[in-house]
Amino acid sequence: MDQHTLLSTLARADSGAVKAFVEDLIPALEPITVRENRTGLAMLPMEETVRDEAFYLGEVLIAEARVRAGGAEGYAACMGRDLELALAIALLDAANAGGVELGRVEAFVEAQAAALAAEDEALGQQVERTRVELETF
Amino acid sequence: MAYVAARGGERAIAASEELHGRLSGPLSGELVRAIERQLPYLVDRVMGEGSLYAPELAALALAQTGGDLYEAVLLLRAYRSTQPRIAYAQPVRQGELRTVRRISAAFKDIPGGQILGPSLDYSHRLLKLGVLDGQNVELGMLNVELPSEQETSSADEHSAFNIQHSTLPAVADWQRAEGLLEPLPAGEPADPAGLPDVTREPISFPAPRAHRLQSLARADTGGVLALGYASMRGYGMSHPTVNELRLGYAELTLRHPVTGVAFSAGRVRVSQAEVVDTGAGKPGESPLRLGFTATIGWNEVKTIAGAMLDLEMSAPDPHPAHREEFVLYHTEPVESSGFCIHYKLPHYVTFGSALDNLRKAAGEGRREGETLPEATPSAGEAK
Repeated sequence: MDQHTLLSTLARADSGAVKAFVEDLIPALEPITVRENRTGLAMLPMEETVRDEAFYLGEVLIAEARVRAGGAEGYAACMGRDLELALAIALLDAANAGGVELGRVEAFVEAQAAALAAEDEALGQQVERTRVELETF
Repeated sequence: MAYVAARGGERAIAASEELHGRLSGPLSGELVRAIERQLPYLVDRVMGEGSLYAPELAALALAQTGGDLYEAVLLLRAYRSTQPRIAYAQPVRQGELRTVRRISAAFKDIPGGQILGPSLDYSHRLLKLGVLDGQNVELGMLNVELPSEQETSSADEHSAFNIQHSTLPAVADWQRAEGLLEPLPAGEPADPAGLPDVTREPISFPAPRAHRLQSLARADTGGVLALGYASMRGYGMSHPTVNELRLGYAELTLRHPVTGVAFSAGRVRVSQAEVVDTGAGKPGESPLRLGFTATIGWNEVKTIAGAMLDLEMSAPDPHPAHREEFVLYHTEPVESSGFCIHYKLPHYVTFGSALDNLRKAAGEGRREGETLPEATPSAGEAK
């Protein structure tokens, strides 16, 4: 499965479901080495529209993890301070890179992606209802 | 300047803090979650001024301070200072925002259309007193039958999918294509790790544009509004219109350190405003000028007022209260509120010294038998 989809989906997925899923996968991923698991700041730049210059909009608190598991490197970062979630996603990234339980991992990520897409679609429809056509007299 | 060491008072200070907590009510995880869920705009304001996107912690800061905004912002800034900087995200671009609200007061037929999104702009400002009587009151105020979500998505050519996938181009891009604005200068994309940063280097004036916009993004909403309102009321040199106001979600795009693959670590609520002024250009230049401000969180007042101040600060000879140095120094929420509240701390020596001077001056012309009250500079911890 492509890494962009896996990491982007799991960073926004239900954290309880991700942790529970990874718990089952741990025996297949051993030995596991946690190389990094910490919180920190990600600088968020933005491009303005007057001169097309970039500036820092602010910082975002993230949790990140870097592991070696299933014979491969795994990494994850997600917003907030949930170190366990970052660790769990990094293990799934390693599983994906190392070809461990690929079918189960893909099915899980796809199910989470579908749930998130449904949420996006529902919000999008609610937003669409607020479209306004203006006339001047 | 003299400082006198403080002594004693620990028990009174502990009791004071305890009383503050008692009068504010118990602090609990449930309260924090309720604040995060139910008061998103307040949480956004704290995050914007605290310059840290962390809704859970902003809600905790609000709960812990009993809703004292400046204290909450200070708590968040203090927490932020304990965290290492570990990543630089890819720059957010206006056209890539997952936009939920986007309006223009300058042009009604903007490409992509006008979307009110979540707003109370057109609501009746009436308290829903029925809530206090236990009634279940719906959030919407207008008694209008809304189309079903299915009807909306099938009937309108602009589907929800389109809204979420960048079909809302910047109004400024359209204006540039029409020749109403000067074209943007060609340049290399900026390195996200190499931008000027007010948290790492002092501002010097005239400030780099990156410093100005970062300062406005972190600025105190009330301060920005006060100075912006002064401009709106007539102290300013421009009379702009909102070119585009946009609320949305920005992806926090990071790169995998091993493979280099870009991915989203989550979404951040952001708001931005662009204002446009007419008739200020030099001969041969575009007659339109833009002002811009953005912040993390959804905060329309701050971004509109900030964009107007951006215009003012760029004017050749702005009002003294709209000069860059004045605006940026006086809208910093932690510095300004901190300086303000420091005045309530003991100043016994300072004040005693002033009294001594008064006494000396008065003594020169004093009639015999007249006295001034004695100062007591030894009364406590003071400067």
